[in-house]
Amino acid sequence: MSAIQRCSKLFSNNLCRTIINIEIRSSISDYKSFAGSRPKKVKNRFDPPEWFVPKKAYNYFDNLTPSNRDFLKEVAYDRYITNRESPLVDEPIKRNTWNPCTKRTGVLGVKIGVLPQWTKDGTKLFTTLVQIIDNHVIRYVPPEDYKQSSAATLYMKNRNYGSVVVGALSCYPTSFTKSYVNLFNEAGVPPKRKLTRFLVTPDAAIEPGTPLTAKHFNVGDYVDVQARTIGHGFQGVVKRWGFKGGPKSHGATKWHRRPGTIASGGRTGLIYKGKKMPGKMGNRWRNHRGLKIWRINYKYNVLYLTGPATPGPTHSYIRIYDTILPNLKKEMTSKEVHPPMPTAYPEDFSEGLPEEVFDDELFQFNDPTLMYNLDEK
Amino acid sequence: MSVFRRALIASNIRNLECYCGVQKRFSNTLFDGTLEKHRRSELSHDREKTESFPPFEAPKDYKKKYPDFLPNADWKKRDRITEKLERKDMLRRRAVLNIPEFYPGSILAITVSDPYAPGKYNRFVGICIAKNGNGLRTSFTLRNVVDNIGVEILYELYNPTIQKVEVLKLEKRLDEELYYLRDCDPKYSTFNFNMEPVQHPPGAPIPVNDIVLKIGPRPWNQKWHRQNLKGVEGLDEHLREVEKKLAEKTAEPWEKYDIMKTYRNSIHEEESERILSEVYEKNLHNQKLKENRKPLKMD
Amino acid sequence: MAGRFIPELLFKRQFGTTPLLNEIRKMARLRVVDNSILGRQAELEGKPAKCIHVYNKNGVGTIGDKVLVAIKGQKKRAFLVGVRQKQKAMVPRFDSNNIVLIEDSGQPTGTRIRVPIPSLLRGKKGEFSKILACATKFV
Repeated sequence: MSAIQRCSKLFSNNLCRTIINIEIRSSISDYKSFAGSRPKKVKNRFDPPEWFVPKKAYNYFDNLTPSNRDFLKEVAYDRYITNRESPLVDEPIKRNTWNPCTKRTGVLGVKIGVLPQWTKDGTKLFTTLVQIIDNHVIRYVPPEDYKQSSAATLYMKNRNYGSVVVGALSCYPTSFTKSYVNLFNEAGVPPKRKLTRFLVTPDAAIEPGTPLTAKHFNVGDYVDVQARTIGHGFQGVVKRWGFKGGPKSHGATKWHRRPGTIASGGRTGLIYKGKKMPGKMGNRWRNHRGLKIWRINYKYNVLYLTGPATPGPTHSYIRIYDTILPNLKKEMTSKEVHPPMPTAYPEDFSEGLPEEVFDDELFQFNDPTLMYNLDEK
Repeated sequence: MSVFRRALIASNIRNLECYCGVQKRFSNTLFDGTLEKHRRSELSHDREKTESFPPFEAPKDYKKKYPDFLPNADWKKRDRITEKLERKDMLRRRAVLNIPEFYPGSILAITVSDPYAPGKYNRFVGICIAKNGNGLRTSFTLRNVVDNIGVEILYELYNPTIQKVEVLKLEKRLDEELYYLRDCDPKYSTFNFNMEPVQHPPGAPIPVNDIVLKIGPRPWNQKWHRQNLKGVEGLDEHLREVEKKLAEKTAEPWEKYDIMKTYRNSIHEEESERILSEVYEKNLHNQKLKENRKPLKMD
Repeated sequence: MAGRFIPELLFKRQFGTTPLLNEIRKMARLRVVDNSILGRQAELEGKPAKCIHVYNKNGVGTIGDKVLVAIKGQKKRAFLVGVRQKQKAMVPRFDSNNIVLIEDSGQPTGTRIRVPIPSLLRGKKGEFSKILACATKFV
């Protein structure tokens, strides 16, 4: 065995961050024993679920020399890029055709910014730019197996959905725990910073280890977006729910931004569930449906989506997948070119790709100035 | 406190702190540093290729000539690739339409495609009151007094319906924003639509019009006495003692010494040089293309 | 006592105030811009037309909206032809809120409009075509 092969084996066994005296298992009591506290019978509100695999439990400072650190990076590069072992599959996964009932994988992007664009009528519209950096499929679980897993809810169990785990932003394995890195063995892919799951129909089954890029989508298609909104922290009732507060003068004593009465007094004797009160505002999952892809830049893997108001601040994660809205799906079916199934592979683009593709209605800045026809009224 | 709980709380807080802070593992947002690392990382399958920086250094007047290429200084919204793509679009538009240099105080004539006008175009002449925004959102307002009524129109510089931008008179004024023209004598805002363009020799310094106007009677559109304007005078006559005292009280004379404020609202010199050299390279490239085009043979 | 304390309160507390919006609502004074006798007389007397109602889903009028106006003790309909409010790009903003008086039949009261009109009104059909016929200049 060569030195590099030996080292990469070491990698998978020992050199990943192992916590001394602890092996992370699914049971909560073992997880807690590091802290020195006795195992609790009642699950704490902030305890992780049983299937959770923590990425890093604590900061472990190893005093590596710079040359050793570089060597570890080289080993990682050789393992994942140069000597990439293709995951053994009996048969290559079949590529089916798209129909409006299929659900393909989505993609995990990063919101980059907002730019104005113009249509060929001259109307201005704002577009959010989303970059799809370094996405890989990490795991595919067919519907039969997924239904039995503890993660599946009743909704998922009643429908025939498989699950695809997609990861974004590769990192060096030295910064993660052994068990986390082992999640990526099946895919043969460096461990990812962020993981997400998409529910998928079995005809859109995809091989673990396939890279996902902006080619997964076509220009003019519609897309749903899921992201965490901007977090505003603990906010009062005026900002959070839009209450009017109280008068600012006229003798109002300490009642300028308070909610006022919260219940009807003695009648019911209780405050209703869901009463609007101060609390943490923002940082919630929100869906924006039916966003059109106006433009795709294949060089940087950037999508231009309608609207300036995609949830989340700049440089936050975004889940993007095909629309579920029926009317827009109809539009997509009536087109000639359907979304690539299960995703776009390099062999589809053997002729080469342009750097950028625009929607028909979008004004390209290379074009001459927009002028209205003299014949039209 | 359990590790998971700490992590949950950390993810609730918006971690947009310093550029060189530690990227929190479970947070929803990425630092600029981490994002850039990942874009150029060896381990990514669609790794961004390192660009060669343009070899030419842009001339010093480019910063004033092309201020719209410099991005918004708000670091929370900045991203290298968004700015790059924006600049590409801007340069493409500039290759089609000649956008000359102008400042607030210059007199412009703009021709815009209008679907409702006969001939499908509309021409407006006016003095540039303000120039705002950067990138594709750059906009400017033109003011003119037409038939004894003041008219102001806001134009977006990169709007594709703009057919022509002519600078009839290139000059600057003592202020960056001339909104006070609304309250001055209308003769200072009147400009003839058929005005002859005043030639400006290329390379010459931009003339500064030192004119100081007398403000009209109250009511005013804004509180001119609180704005440190140099192009207006005669404000004290119209003010009451109370108002003058209030103006002194609310004044912030230390603002001009606030170095951090100017630093936060400006783009770093090195970065702006790099951006402008890109523009310079593109301009040279366009010039070469023009020179290389062979003239038509007229037989 | 209260009158002496309130100004101090104003400076201590942070008051959120909107900038001047220049919206046209009820009670807004409007300038008649055609050559009708009514409009001219009202201007000379110093009692300009006052908006009583805006024919709109929300009570704020913009360029092209119909408005009910009280002039010299009578009620008259009018069209807003120029507005002081901040506008979107390419739409002109005027230094005064201009109206053109209209009869109940839809015929404009005056024969000529002595002020430039925004060009986008040319796209409007129906009652506007008669007003556009009186216009002298478009901006």
